[in-house]
Amino acid sequence: MARFLTIGERIHVISPVIRKAMQERNPEPIIARAREQVEAGAHYLDVNIGPADRDGEELMPWAVKTLQEEFPDTPLCLDTANMKAIEAGIKVYDRKPGKPIINSADAGPRIEMINLAAEYDAMVIGLCAKEGIPRDNDERIMYCTEILERAMDAGLAPENILFDPLFVVVKGMQDKQQEVLEAVRQISEMGLLTTGGLSNVSNGCPKELRGLIEAVFCAMAIQCGLTSAIINPLDKLVIDVIKTADLIKERNLYADSYLEL
Amino acid sequence: MAYKMPAQKYSGQIQEVTIGSDLKLGGESVLPFYSFDGDMGNKPVIGMEIWDIIPESWPEGVLNTFKDVADDPVKWAKYCEEKYNPDFICIKFEGANPDGLDKSPEECAEVAKKLAENVKVPLVIAGCQNNEKNAKVFTKVAEALPDKNYVFLSAVESNYKEVGAAVGMAYGNIVAAESSVDLNLAKQLNILVTQLGIKPEKMVMDPGCAAVGYGFEYVVTTMDRIRLAALQQSDTTLQIPMILPVSFESWKVKESIAPEEEMPEWGSQEDRGIAMEISTAVGVLGSGANAVILRHPRSVEVVRNFISEMTE
Repeated sequence: MARFLTIGERIHVISPVIRKAMQERNPEPIIARAREQVEAGAHYLDVNIGPADRDGEELMPWAVKTLQEEFPDTPLCLDTANMKAIEAGIKVYDRKPGKPIINSADAGPRIEMINLAAEYDAMVIGLCAKEGIPRDNDERIMYCTEILERAMDAGLAPENILFDPLFVVVKGMQDKQQEVLEAVRQISEMGLLTTGGLSNVSNGCPKELRGLIEAVFCAMAIQCGLTSAIINPLDKLVIDVIKTADLIKERNLYADSYLEL
Repeated sequence: MAYKMPAQKYSGQIQEVTIGSDLKLGGESVLPFYSFDGDMGNKPVIGMEIWDIIPESWPEGVLNTFKDVADDPVKWAKYCEEKYNPDFICIKFEGANPDGLDKSPEECAEVAKKLAENVKVPLVIAGCQNNEKNAKVFTKVAEALPDKNYVFLSAVESNYKEVGAAVGMAYGNIVAAESSVDLNLAKQLNILVTQLGIKPEKMVMDPGCAAVGYGFEYVVTTMDRIRLAALQQSDTTLQIPMILPVSFESWKVKESIAPEEEMPEWGSQEDRGIAMEISTAVGVLGSGANAVILRHPRSVEVVRNFISEMTE
Protein backbone atom coordinates (compact mmCIF):
# COMPACT_ATOMS: atom_id res chain seq x y z
CA MET A 1 0.00 0.00 0.00
CA ALA A 2 1.29 3.46 -0.88
CA ARG A 3 2.21 5.85 1.89
CA PHE A 4 -0.03 8.69 2.99
CA LEU A 5 0.30 11.62 0.60
CA THR A 6 0.71 15.12 2.01
CA ILE A 7 0.00 18.32 0.10
CA GLY A 8 1.53 21.46 1.63
CA GLU A 9 -0.96 24.30 1.73
CA ARG A 10 1.21 27.30 2.54
CA ILE A 11 1.56 28.87 -0.91
CA HIS A 12 -1.81 30.54 -0.81
CA VAL A 13 -2.92 33.88 -2.15
CA ILE A 14 -4.80 34.55 1.08
CA SER A 15 -1.42 35.15 2.75
CA PRO A 16 -0.49 38.83 2.26
CA VAL A 17 3.17 37.95 1.67
CA ILE A 18 2.30 35.48 -1.08
CA ARG A 19 -0.34 37.75 -2.63
CA LYS A 20 2.17 40.56 -2.90
CA ALA A 21 4.87 38.27 -4.27
CA MET A 22 2.47 36.95 -6.91
CA GLN A 23 1.39 40.44 -7.91
CA GLU A 24 4.98 41.60 -8.23
CA ARG A 25 6.22 38.28 -9.68
CA ASN A 26 8.78 38.21 -6.93
CA PRO A 27 9.99 34.60 -6.59
CA GLU A 28 11.80 34.83 -3.23
CA PRO A 29 8.90 34.75 -0.74
CA ILE A 30 7.27 31.92 -2.70
CA ILE A 31 10.47 29.90 -2.87
CA ALA A 32 11.05 30.46 0.85
CA ARG A 33 7.60 29.10 1.67
CA ALA A 34 8.13 26.18 -0.66
CA ARG A 35 11.50 25.35 0.86
CA GLU A 36 10.25 25.22 4.44
CA GLN A 37 7.44 22.90 3.38
CA VAL A 38 9.67 20.60 1.32
CA GLU A 39 12.16 20.39 4.18
CA ALA A 40 9.33 19.60 6.57
CA GLY A 41 8.42 16.61 4.40
CA ALA A 42 5.51 17.72 2.20
CA HIS A 43 5.19 15.46 -0.86
CA TYR A 44 3.22 17.87 -3.07
CA LEU A 45 3.02 21.66 -2.87
CA ASP A 46 -0.29 23.38 -3.44
CA VAL A 47 -0.03 26.58 -5.49
CA ASN A 48 -3.11 28.69 -4.83
CA ILE A 49 -3.30 31.78 -6.99
CA GLY A 50 -6.89 32.68 -6.05
CA PRO A 51 -9.58 33.25 -8.70
CA ALA A 52 -7.00 35.08 -10.85
CA ASP A 53 -9.60 36.13 -13.40
CA ARG A 54 -7.40 38.81 -14.82
CA ASP A 55 -3.90 37.35 -15.16
CA GLY A 56 -4.19 33.68 -14.15
CA GLU A 57 -3.05 32.37 -17.53
CA GLU A 58 0.18 34.20 -17.07
CA LEU A 59 0.55 33.90 -13.29
CA MET A 60 0.14 30.13 -12.99
CA PRO A 61 2.84 29.19 -15.55
CA TRP A 62 5.16 31.70 -13.91
CA ALA A 63 4.55 30.14 -10.47
CA VAL A 64 4.96 26.60 -11.82
CA LYS A 65 8.24 27.41 -13.55
CA THR A 66 9.56 29.37 -10.59
CA LEU A 67 8.92 26.47 -8.22
CA GLN A 68 10.05 23.66 -10.50
CA GLU A 69 13.34 25.34 -11.30
CA GLU A 70 14.11 25.48 -7.60
CA PHE A 71 12.51 22.17 -6.56
CA PRO A 72 12.72 19.78 -9.52
CA ASP A 73 11.84 16.77 -7.33
CA THR A 74 8.64 18.16 -5.87
CA PRO A 75 5.36 17.76 -7.76
CA LEU A 76 2.75 20.51 -7.65
CA CYS A 77 -0.96 20.88 -7.06
CA LEU A 78 -2.37 23.72 -9.18
CA ASP A 79 -5.08 25.52 -7.26
CA THR A 80 -7.49 28.02 -8.82
CA ALA A 81 -11.03 28.09 -10.17
CA ASN A 82 -9.68 29.57 -13.40
CA MET A 83 -9.55 26.67 -15.86
CA LYS A 84 -7.47 28.51 -18.42
CA ALA A 85 -4.90 29.26 -15.73
CA ILE A 86 -4.73 25.56 -14.77
CA GLU A 87 -4.33 24.59 -18.41
CA ALA A 88 -1.56 27.13 -18.93
CA GLY A 89 0.17 25.86 -15.79
CA ILE A 90 0.00 22.21 -16.86
CA LYS A 91 1.43 23.09 -20.27
CA VAL A 92 4.70 24.25 -18.70
CA TYR A 93 4.68 21.66 -15.90
CA ASP A 94 7.58 19.16 -15.85
CA ARG A 95 6.03 15.85 -14.80
CA LYS A 96 9.26 14.09 -13.89
CA PRO A 97 8.55 14.26 -10.11
CA GLY A 98 4.92 13.18 -10.60
CA LYS A 99 1.66 14.14 -12.31
CA PRO A 100 0.25 17.56 -11.55
CA ILE A 101 -2.86 17.63 -9.37
CA ILE A 102 -5.70 19.95 -10.32
CA ASN A 103 -7.32 21.57 -7.29
CA SER A 104 -10.20 21.22 -7.83
CA ALA A 105 -13.25 19.81 -9.60
CA ASP A 106 -16.71 19.49 -8.08
CA ALA A 107 -20.04 18.07 -9.18
CA GLY A 108 -21.29 21.54 -10.05
CA PRO A 109 -19.84 24.40 -12.06
CA ARG A 110 -16.28 23.02 -11.88
CA ILE A 111 -16.99 19.54 -13.22
CA GLU A 112 -15.20 20.47 -16.46
CA MET A 113 -11.95 20.22 -14.49
CA ILE A 114 -12.39 16.44 -14.74
CA ASN A 115 -12.21 16.68 -18.53
CA LEU A 116 -9.19 18.89 -18.25
CA ALA A 117 -7.46 16.29 -16.06
CA ALA A 118 -8.32 13.58 -18.58
CA GLU A 119 -7.05 15.65 -21.48
CA TYR A 120 -3.69 16.36 -19.84
CA ASP A 121 -3.23 13.08 -17.93
CA ALA A 122 -3.30 14.92 -14.61
CA MET A 123 -4.68 14.01 -11.22
CA VAL A 124 -7.55 16.00 -9.80
CA ILE A 125 -9.17 16.65 -6.44
CA GLY A 126 -12.89 15.95 -6.69
CA LEU A 127 -14.92 17.89 -4.17
CA CYS A 128 -18.04 15.93 -3.25
CA ALA A 129 -20.08 19.10 -3.46
CA LYS A 130 -22.19 21.11 -5.86
CA GLU A 131 -23.16 24.34 -4.16
CA GLY A 132 -21.59 24.99 -0.79
CA ILE A 133 -21.21 22.27 1.79
CA PRO A 134 -23.16 19.08 1.08
CA ARG A 135 -26.12 18.58 3.39
CA ASP A 136 -25.45 14.98 4.31
CA ASN A 137 -23.62 11.88 3.17
CA ASP A 138 -26.32 10.94 0.70
CA GLU A 139 -25.45 14.13 -1.13
CA ARG A 140 -21.73 13.55 -0.76
CA ILE A 141 -21.93 10.07 -2.25
CA MET A 142 -24.22 11.28 -5.02
CA TYR A 143 -21.71 13.98 -6.00
CA CYS A 144 -18.87 11.50 -5.70
CA THR A 145 -20.70 9.22 -8.12
CA GLU A 146 -21.41 12.09 -10.54
CA ILE A 147 -17.71 12.97 -10.61
CA LEU A 148 -16.81 9.33 -11.13
CA GLU A 149 -19.25 9.00 -14.03
CA ARG A 150 -17.88 12.11 -15.66
CA ALA A 151 -14.38 10.72 -15.26
CA MET A 152 -15.38 7.40 -16.85
CA ASP A 153 -16.89 9.24 -19.82
CA ALA A 154 -13.79 11.38 -20.19
CA GLY A 155 -11.43 8.40 -19.91
CA LEU A 156 -9.87 9.42 -16.60
CA ALA A 157 -8.97 6.42 -14.43
CA PRO A 158 -10.43 6.60 -10.90
CA GLU A 159 -6.97 6.37 -9.29
CA ASN A 160 -6.30 9.84 -10.69
CA ILE A 161 -9.02 11.38 -8.54
CA LEU A 162 -8.64 12.33 -4.88
CA PHE A 163 -12.18 12.58 -3.54
CA ASP A 164 -12.63 15.31 -0.95
CA PRO A 165 -15.73 14.86 1.23
CA LEU A 166 -15.21 18.42 2.53
CA PHE A 167 -13.85 18.56 6.05
CA VAL A 168 -15.79 20.99 8.22
CA VAL A 169 -14.91 23.15 11.19
CA VAL A 170 -15.21 21.54 14.60
CA LYS A 171 -15.98 24.85 16.25
CA GLY A 172 -19.52 25.29 15.03
CA MET A 173 -20.07 22.04 13.13
CA GLN A 174 -19.15 19.61 15.83
CA ASP A 175 -22.19 17.46 15.08
CA LYS A 176 -20.99 16.89 11.50
CA GLN A 177 -17.53 15.46 12.27
CA GLN A 178 -18.58 11.82 12.53
CA GLU A 179 -20.52 12.17 9.31
CA VAL A 180 -17.44 13.42 7.46
CA LEU A 181 -15.41 10.50 8.79
CA GLU A 182 -18.18 8.14 7.71
CA ALA A 183 -18.05 9.68 4.22
CA VAL A 184 -14.30 8.97 4.09
CA ARG A 185 -15.09 5.37 5.00
CA GLN A 186 -17.81 5.01 2.38
CA ILE A 187 -15.70 6.51 -0.39
CA SER A 188 -12.70 4.38 0.61
CA GLU A 189 -14.82 1.26 0.58
CA MET A 190 -15.52 1.95 -3.08
CA GLY A 191 -11.76 1.58 -3.60
CA LEU A 192 -11.28 5.28 -4.26
CA LEU A 193 -8.60 7.68 -3.02
CA THR A 194 -9.50 10.48 -0.65
CA THR A 195 -8.16 13.80 0.56
CA GLY A 196 -9.27 16.85 2.50
CA GLY A 197 -8.16 20.18 3.90
CA LEU A 198 -7.13 19.50 7.49
CA SER A 199 -6.99 23.16 8.46
CA ASN A 200 -10.73 23.39 7.74
CA VAL A 201 -11.31 21.29 10.84
CA SER A 202 -9.47 23.59 13.24
CA ASN A 203 -10.42 26.89 11.65
CA GLY A 204 -11.17 29.58 14.23
CA CYS A 205 -9.71 27.61 17.13
CA PRO A 206 -6.89 29.02 19.29
CA LYS A 207 -3.54 28.62 17.58
CA GLU A 208 -2.14 26.32 20.25
CA LEU A 209 -5.00 23.86 19.72
CA ARG A 210 -5.05 23.73 15.94
CA GLY A 211 -2.25 21.22 15.43
CA LEU A 212 -3.68 18.86 18.02
CA ILE A 213 -7.18 18.97 16.59
CA GLU A 214 -5.89 18.41 13.07
CA ALA A 215 -3.59 15.58 14.13
CA VAL A 216 -6.33 13.71 15.98
CA PHE A 217 -8.86 14.22 13.20
CA CYS A 218 -6.28 13.08 10.66
CA ALA A 219 -5.47 9.91 12.62
CA MET A 220 -9.17 9.08 12.91
CA ALA A 221 -9.72 9.77 9.22
CA ILE A 222 -6.75 7.59 8.25
CA GLN A 223 -8.34 4.71 10.11
CA CYS A 224 -11.45 5.35 7.99
CA GLY A 225 -9.31 5.06 4.87
CA LEU A 226 -8.07 8.59 4.17
CA THR A 227 -5.13 8.37 1.75
CA SER A 228 -3.96 11.99 1.59
CA ALA A 229 -4.54 15.43 3.08
CA ILE A 230 -3.86 19.06 2.41
CA ILE A 231 -1.88 20.13 5.45
CA ASN A 232 0.40 22.67 7.03
CA PRO A 233 3.61 20.60 6.95
CA LEU A 234 5.28 22.98 9.39
CA ASP A 235 3.05 21.55 12.06
CA LYS A 236 5.36 18.84 13.33
CA LEU A 237 2.67 17.13 15.35
CA VAL A 238 0.55 16.54 12.24
CA ILE A 239 3.53 15.28 10.26
CA ASP A 240 4.62 12.97 13.08
CA VAL A 241 1.12 11.58 13.48
CA ILE A 242 0.94 10.87 9.74
CA LYS A 243 4.32 9.12 9.80
CA THR A 244 3.26 7.08 12.80
CA ALA A 245 -0.06 6.18 11.19
CA ASP A 246 1.91 4.90 8.18
CA LEU A 247 3.73 2.53 10.55
CA ILE A 248 0.57 1.31 12.25
CA LYS A 249 -1.01 0.80 8.81
CA GLU A 250 2.14 -1.09 7.75
CA ARG A 251 2.77 1.21 4.85
CA ASN A 252 6.29 1.85 6.09
CA LEU A 253 8.75 -0.43 7.85
CA TYR A 254 9.57 0.51 11.42
CA ALA A 255 13.02 1.80 12.42
CA ASP A 256 13.84 3.79 15.58
CA SER A 257 14.64 6.88 13.50
CA TYR A 258 11.45 6.77 11.42
CA LEU A 259 10.43 10.32 12.34
CA GLU A 260 13.73 11.67 11.02
CA LEU A 261 13.12 10.47 7.47
CA MET B 1 -7.36 -14.86 -27.18
CA ALA B 2 -3.70 -15.45 -26.45
CA TYR B 3 -2.66 -15.79 -22.85
CA LYS B 4 -1.05 -12.66 -21.51
CA MET B 5 1.39 -13.32 -18.75
CA PRO B 6 0.72 -10.99 -15.79
CA ALA B 7 3.76 -9.05 -14.57
CA GLN B 8 4.21 -7.80 -11.03
CA LYS B 9 5.48 -4.25 -11.33
CA TYR B 10 7.11 -2.51 -8.37
CA SER B 11 7.68 1.17 -7.86
CA GLY B 12 11.02 0.69 -6.12
CA GLN B 13 14.42 -0.24 -7.47
CA ILE B 14 17.61 -1.40 -5.78
CA GLN B 15 20.43 1.12 -5.90
CA GLU B 16 23.26 0.25 -8.27
CA VAL B 17 26.60 0.17 -6.46
CA THR B 18 29.94 -0.16 -8.24
CA ILE B 19 32.69 -2.08 -6.45
CA GLY B 20 36.23 -1.41 -7.57
CA SER B 21 36.22 0.16 -11.02
CA ASP B 22 33.45 -1.76 -12.76
CA LEU B 23 31.87 -4.56 -10.72
CA LYS B 24 28.23 -3.53 -10.50
CA LEU B 25 25.75 -4.75 -7.92
CA GLY B 26 21.99 -4.23 -7.68
CA GLY B 27 19.79 -2.24 -10.04
CA GLU B 28 16.93 -4.74 -9.98
CA SER B 29 13.27 -3.75 -9.74
CA VAL B 30 11.90 -7.28 -9.34
CA LEU B 31 12.19 -10.09 -6.80
CA PRO B 32 15.33 -12.26 -7.14
CA PHE B 33 15.53 -13.94 -10.56
CA TYR B 34 11.98 -12.84 -11.50
CA SER B 35 13.07 -12.00 -15.02
CA PHE B 36 9.48 -12.53 -16.22
CA ASP B 37 8.38 -9.50 -14.15
CA GLY B 38 10.93 -6.96 -15.32
CA ASP B 39 14.48 -5.74 -14.98
CA MET B 40 16.71 -8.06 -12.94
CA GLY B 41 19.51 -5.50 -12.84
CA ASN B 42 23.06 -6.82 -12.51
CA LYS B 43 23.47 -10.50 -11.93
CA PRO B 44 24.66 -11.62 -8.49
CA VAL B 45 28.41 -11.90 -8.06
CA ILE B 46 30.71 -14.33 -6.24
CA GLY B 47 33.76 -13.56 -4.15
CA MET B 48 36.32 -15.96 -2.71
CA GLU B 49 37.44 -15.77 0.89
CA ILE B 50 41.12 -15.71 1.80
CA TRP B 51 42.85 -14.95 5.11
CA ASP B 52 45.84 -12.89 6.09
CA ILE B 53 47.16 -15.84 8.12
CA ILE B 54 47.25 -19.60 7.53
CA PRO B 55 43.67 -20.66 8.29
CA GLU B 56 44.49 -23.55 10.57
CA SER B 57 40.92 -23.69 11.84
CA TRP B 58 39.55 -24.53 8.38
CA PRO B 59 38.37 -28.09 7.84
CA GLU B 60 40.99 -30.22 6.17
CA GLY B 61 39.23 -30.63 2.83
CA VAL B 62 39.02 -26.95 2.06
CA LEU B 63 42.39 -26.16 3.61
CA ASN B 64 44.11 -28.76 1.45
CA THR B 65 42.85 -27.04 -1.68
CA PHE B 66 44.93 -23.99 -0.79
CA LYS B 67 47.78 -25.61 1.14
CA ASP B 68 50.50 -24.43 -1.24
CA VAL B 69 49.41 -20.80 -1.23
CA ALA B 70 47.76 -20.19 2.15
CA ASP B 71 50.96 -18.89 3.75
CA ASP B 72 50.88 -15.75 1.61
CA PRO B 73 47.69 -13.76 0.94
CA VAL B 74 49.00 -12.32 -2.34
CA LYS B 75 49.92 -15.76 -3.67
CA TRP B 76 46.58 -17.09 -2.44
CA ALA B 77 44.57 -14.30 -4.05
CA LYS B 78 46.38 -14.66 -7.37
CA TYR B 79 45.91 -18.40 -7.28
CA CYS B 80 42.13 -17.95 -6.78
CA GLU B 81 41.93 -15.26 -9.40
CA GLU B 82 43.76 -17.23 -12.06
CA LYS B 83 42.31 -20.62 -11.33
CA TYR B 84 38.71 -19.91 -10.31
CA ASN B 85 37.93 -16.50 -11.76
CA PRO B 86 35.88 -15.01 -8.89
CA ASP B 87 34.27 -11.57 -9.27
CA PHE B 88 36.08 -10.31 -6.19
CA ILE B 89 38.43 -11.44 -3.43
CA CYS B 90 37.45 -11.13 0.21
CA ILE B 91 40.49 -10.76 2.45
CA LYS B 92 39.59 -11.56 6.05
CA PHE B 93 41.99 -10.13 8.62
CA GLU B 94 41.69 -12.91 11.17
CA GLY B 95 45.27 -12.18 12.18
CA ALA B 96 44.13 -8.90 13.68
CA ASN B 97 42.11 -10.64 16.37
CA PRO B 98 43.34 -9.42 19.79
CA ASP B 99 42.78 -12.94 21.14
CA GLY B 100 45.01 -14.35 18.43
CA LEU B 101 48.01 -12.86 16.67
CA ASP B 102 46.79 -9.31 17.31
CA LYS B 103 48.39 -7.92 14.14
CA SER B 104 48.49 -4.16 13.99
CA PRO B 105 46.26 -2.10 11.68
CA GLU B 106 49.44 -0.98 9.92
CA GLU B 107 50.44 -4.58 9.16
CA CYS B 108 46.96 -5.26 7.81
CA ALA B 109 47.09 -2.13 5.65
CA GLU B 110 50.40 -3.31 4.23
CA VAL B 111 48.89 -6.67 3.23
CA ALA B 112 45.81 -5.00 1.73
CA LYS B 113 47.95 -2.64 -0.28
CA LYS B 114 50.02 -5.50 -1.70
CA LEU B 115 46.87 -7.33 -2.62
CA ALA B 116 45.43 -4.30 -4.35
CA GLU B 117 48.63 -3.94 -6.36
CA ASN B 118 48.72 -7.58 -7.43
CA VAL B 119 45.10 -8.56 -7.94
CA LYS B 120 42.91 -7.37 -10.78
CA VAL B 121 39.49 -7.98 -9.23
CA PRO B 122 38.18 -5.67 -6.50
CA LEU B 123 38.65 -6.45 -2.82
CA VAL B 124 36.25 -6.87 0.04
CA ILE B 125 38.00 -6.17 3.33
CA ALA B 126 36.64 -8.24 6.21
CA GLY B 127 37.63 -8.04 9.85
CA CYS B 128 37.92 -10.41 12.78
CA GLN B 129 35.47 -11.10 15.63
CA ASN B 130 36.41 -7.91 17.45
CA ASN B 131 34.44 -4.89 16.24
CA GLU B 132 36.54 -2.38 18.13
CA LYS B 133 39.72 -3.68 16.52
CA ASN B 134 38.03 -3.87 13.14
CA ALA B 135 37.28 -0.15 13.25
CA LYS B 136 40.99 0.55 13.70
CA VAL B 137 42.03 -1.94 11.02
CA PHE B 138 39.46 -0.61 8.52
CA THR B 139 40.57 2.96 9.14
CA LYS B 140 44.20 2.13 8.31
CA VAL B 141 43.36 -0.07 5.34
CA ALA B 142 40.99 2.54 3.89
CA GLU B 143 43.65 5.20 4.38
CA ALA B 144 46.14 3.05 2.47
CA LEU B 145 43.63 2.42 -0.33
CA PRO B 146 41.62 5.62 -0.77
CA ASP B 147 38.83 5.95 -3.35
CA LYS B 148 39.16 2.33 -4.49
CA ASN B 149 35.46 1.55 -4.00
CA TYR B 150 36.45 -1.49 -1.98
CA VAL B 151 33.84 -2.89 0.39
CA PHE B 152 34.57 -2.95 4.13
CA LEU B 153 32.77 -5.74 5.92
CA SER B 154 31.45 -4.36 8.08
CA ALA B 155 30.06 -1.49 10.11
CA VAL B 156 27.93 -2.68 13.03
CA GLU B 157 25.88 -0.80 15.61
CA SER B 158 28.85 -0.45 17.97
CA ASN B 159 31.41 0.87 15.46
CA TYR B 160 29.48 2.35 12.54
CA LYS B 161 30.47 5.94 13.36
CA GLU B 162 34.18 5.23 13.27
CA VAL B 163 33.99 2.86 10.30
CA GLY B 164 31.61 5.11 8.37
CA ALA B 165 33.66 8.25 8.99
CA ALA B 166 36.93 6.64 7.85
CA VAL B 167 35.89 4.16 5.17
CA GLY B 168 33.01 6.09 3.62
CA MET B 169 33.58 9.75 4.33
CA ALA B 170 37.34 10.27 4.59
CA TYR B 171 38.64 7.64 2.17
CA GLY B 172 35.84 7.11 -0.35
CA ASN B 173 35.31 3.38 -0.05
CA ILE B 174 32.12 1.37 0.43
CA VAL B 175 30.60 0.67 3.82
CA ALA B 176 28.77 -2.60 4.45
CA ALA B 177 26.17 -2.10 7.18
CA GLU B 178 25.78 -5.32 9.13
CA SER B 179 22.87 -6.17 11.39
CA SER B 180 22.01 -9.47 12.99
CA VAL B 181 18.96 -10.88 11.23
CA ASP B 182 16.54 -8.17 12.33
CA LEU B 183 14.48 -6.26 9.81
CA ASN B 184 14.01 -3.10 11.87
CA LEU B 185 17.63 -2.97 12.99
CA ALA B 186 18.77 -3.40 9.39
CA LYS B 187 16.75 -0.38 8.39
CA GLN B 188 17.85 1.60 11.44
CA LEU B 189 21.55 0.97 10.80
CA ASN B 190 21.16 2.00 7.16
CA ILE B 191 19.52 5.24 8.31
CA LEU B 192 22.31 5.90 10.81
CA VAL B 193 25.02 5.26 8.22
CA THR B 194 23.23 7.54 5.76
CA GLN B 195 22.95 10.22 8.41
CA LEU B 196 26.75 10.25 8.66
CA GLY B 197 26.67 11.60 5.13
CA ILE B 198 27.38 8.39 3.24
CA LYS B 199 25.55 8.17 -0.08
CA PRO B 200 23.46 5.09 -0.89
CA GLU B 201 25.70 4.36 -3.88
CA LYS B 202 28.58 3.94 -1.42
CA MET B 203 26.78 1.39 0.73
CA VAL B 204 25.93 -2.28 0.76
CA MET B 205 24.25 -4.22 3.52
CA ASP B 206 24.77 -7.52 5.29
CA PRO B 207 21.45 -8.30 6.96
CA GLY B 208 23.08 -11.15 8.90
CA CYS B 209 23.86 -14.64 7.70
CA ALA B 210 23.56 -18.18 9.07
CA ALA B 211 24.19 -21.61 7.64
CA VAL B 212 21.24 -23.69 6.48
CA GLY B 213 19.68 -25.39 9.47
CA TYR B 214 20.94 -22.75 11.90
CA GLY B 215 18.12 -20.24 12.01
CA PHE B 216 18.35 -19.93 8.26
CA GLU B 217 14.60 -19.36 7.87
CA TYR B 218 15.00 -16.13 9.85
CA VAL B 219 17.75 -15.03 7.48
CA VAL B 220 15.59 -15.78 4.47
CA THR B 221 12.41 -14.12 5.75
CA THR B 222 14.37 -11.06 6.88
CA MET B 223 15.91 -10.74 3.42
CA ASP B 224 12.56 -11.30 1.71
CA ARG B 225 10.91 -8.59 3.76
CA ILE B 226 13.80 -6.19 3.17
CA ARG B 227 13.39 -6.66 -0.56
CA LEU B 228 9.61 -6.31 -0.42
CA ALA B 229 9.88 -3.06 1.56
CA ALA B 230 12.44 -1.79 -0.94
CA LEU B 231 10.38 -2.70 -4.00
CA GLN B 232 6.74 -2.48 -2.88
CA GLN B 233 6.97 0.42 -0.45
CA SER B 234 9.83 2.12 -2.30
CA ASP B 235 11.71 2.28 0.98
CA THR B 236 14.90 4.04 -0.08
CA THR B 237 16.65 3.15 3.18
CA LEU B 238 16.50 -0.52 2.15
CA GLN B 239 17.17 -0.18 -1.58
CA ILE B 240 20.76 -1.20 -0.92
CA PRO B 241 22.47 -4.26 -2.45
CA MET B 242 23.00 -7.15 -0.04
CA ILE B 243 26.28 -9.01 0.43
CA LEU B 244 26.23 -12.28 2.33
CA PRO B 245 29.43 -13.82 3.77
CA VAL B 246 28.14 -17.36 3.36
CA SER B 247 31.46 -19.10 3.94
CA PHE B 248 32.00 -17.40 7.33
CA GLU B 249 28.98 -19.32 8.61
CA SER B 250 28.73 -22.47 6.57
CA TRP B 251 32.23 -23.79 7.36
CA LYS B 252 31.95 -23.58 11.12
CA VAL B 253 28.88 -25.74 11.73
CA LYS B 254 29.19 -29.37 12.76
CA GLU B 255 28.11 -30.71 9.35
CA SER B 256 31.20 -29.06 7.89
CA ILE B 257 33.74 -29.70 10.64
CA ALA B 258 32.94 -33.13 12.07
CA PRO B 259 35.67 -35.49 10.78
CA GLU B 260 34.60 -38.53 8.86
CA GLU B 261 36.08 -40.90 11.46
CA GLU B 262 33.68 -39.45 14.06
CA MET B 263 30.67 -39.38 11.76
CA PRO B 264 31.20 -42.17 9.23
CA GLU B 265 27.48 -42.29 8.42
CA TRP B 266 27.64 -38.66 7.22
CA GLY B 267 30.13 -39.42 4.51
CA SER B 268 32.97 -37.24 3.21
CA GLN B 269 33.65 -34.20 5.35
CA GLU B 270 34.72 -32.10 2.38
CA ASP B 271 31.56 -32.94 0.43
CA ARG B 272 29.41 -32.04 3.44
CA GLY B 273 31.09 -28.67 3.80
CA ILE B 274 30.62 -27.94 0.12
CA ALA B 275 26.98 -28.99 0.31
CA MET B 276 26.38 -26.68 3.29
CA GLU B 277 28.07 -23.81 1.50
CA ILE B 278 26.17 -24.28 -1.75
CA SER B 279 22.79 -24.72 -0.06
CA THR B 280 23.30 -21.59 2.03
CA ALA B 281 24.45 -19.56 -0.96
CA VAL B 282 21.58 -20.63 -3.19
CA GLY B 283 19.11 -19.89 -0.37
CA VAL B 284 20.32 -16.33 0.15
CA LEU B 285 20.57 -15.70 -3.59
CA GLY B 286 16.93 -16.71 -3.86
CA SER B 287 16.12 -14.15 -1.19
CA GLY B 288 17.86 -11.23 -2.82
CA ALA B 289 21.60 -11.46 -2.12
CA ASN B 290 23.53 -9.46 -4.73
CA ALA B 291 26.90 -10.90 -3.71
CA VAL B 292 27.99 -14.02 -1.85
CA ILE B 293 31.37 -14.87 -0.36
CA LEU B 294 32.43 -18.51 -0.75
CA ARG B 295 35.43 -20.59 0.22
CA HIS B 296 35.57 -23.85 -1.73
CA PRO B 297 36.31 -23.83 -5.49
CA ARG B 298 33.63 -26.46 -6.07
CA SER B 299 31.03 -24.20 -4.41
CA VAL B 300 32.15 -21.30 -6.59
CA GLU B 301 31.70 -23.44 -9.68
CA VAL B 302 28.25 -24.73 -8.74
CA VAL B 303 26.91 -21.39 -7.54
CA ARG B 304 28.23 -19.62 -10.63
CA ASN B 305 26.48 -22.20 -12.76
CA PHE B 306 23.27 -21.71 -10.78
CA ILE B 307 23.40 -17.95 -11.32
CA SER B 308 24.05 -18.37 -15.04
CA GLU B 309 21.19 -20.82 -15.44
CA MET B 310 18.85 -18.47 -13.61
CA THR B 311 19.84 -15.34 -15.47
CA GLU B 312 20.68 -16.33 -19.01
